[in-house]
Amino acid sequence: MGHLLIPVLVGVTSVAAYLVGAKGLRLSHGCFRKAVRRMLESLGVTLIFLGVNLGAAVIVILAARALTREFVSLYLAADETLLVLSLIQALIFQGWRDLSGANVSRS
Amino acid sequence: MKPRQMKAPGRPRRMAWADLCSLLGGVGLAFFLVSAFTPLPNLLSRSMGDPSSLEPAEAIVVLGGGVMPDGVLSNSSMRRALHGILLHRKGLAPLLVFFGPVRDGGPAEAEVRAELARALGVTPGVILAAAEARTTGEEALRGGALLHARGVRRILLVTDAHHMRRARTAFEQAGFEVLAAPAQDLSSRVSRPEERLEVMRRIVEERLARLYYGLAGYL
Repeated sequence: MGHLLIPVLVGVTSVAAYLVGAKGLRLSHGCFRKAVRRMLESLGVTLIFLGVNLGAAVIVILAARALTREFVSLYLAADETLLVLSLIQALIFQGWRDLSGANVSRS
Repeated sequence: MKPRQMKAPGRPRRMAWADLCSLLGGVGLAFFLVSAFTPLPNLLSRSMGDPSSLEPAEAIVVLGGGVMPDGVLSNSSMRRALHGILLHRKGLAPLLVFFGPVRDGGPAEAEVRAELARALGVTPGVILAAAEARTTGEEALRGGALLHARGVRRILLVTDAHHMRRARTAFEQAGFEVLAAPAQDLSSRVSRPEERLEVMRRIVEERLARLYYGLAGYL
């Protein structure tokens, strides 16, 4: 049962947040679906950044091995910080696209 | 009028990009949820490893697993080393070979493990520390040459269960008869989401490593 703690906990707080948003803050139901879709889009951009970062890391490591006598392990590319940094890149990129789109619409 | 004319051709492209990213994000989220909250990693983990075949051999070969610059062995390295030492104490082979290179100017992993074996009562004369090889492929080639020179043909190979199939193929290609002696560093019966994610990460990592070895012609 212990392994169900996290999903149940997050499920309960998610329902609570939805109720606070819908009833307390009177947020739009239609916008909720858009927000979920926006989250998936940001997640997709994160995975694209992650793929590009991983590919670049492998190329740099193989180039370093070929061009220098220094041995660099490919396992260096499998660093969990790359996922977090890719998420940051994706959020900035998405925000940039949104704000640029808004500016173009206004102009 | 001009901004509208500009927007018309751009909008479908923007939508296509958004759809593609949403689809990718959905697949990524589903993969995360399945990996963390279902037994899929456990099932995949069981199917990846070779079964243990503990029979007498001419040498116990313990592959490298990582060492810190201050000489502290990684968990994986320590488990492999202890497994190799136990197999030797059981009398399964007369020679105990430790691999593991130097990292960031610290001591060689192979030497640290050899010291551990000596401290645990293994006779110094039967321990061989090979610190030159840095990858599984190099361990099979360089270590292979070292062992062939001593007339060793049949080995007990000690590495993680996930890593065993790739390592086994590399050593078989180097001319050895390989008996798998996997050291379990991650249980396939984990149930916490964090542990399942770690198992899935190792599975994906090893799959990519096999792909790389295949593309590079090592396998």
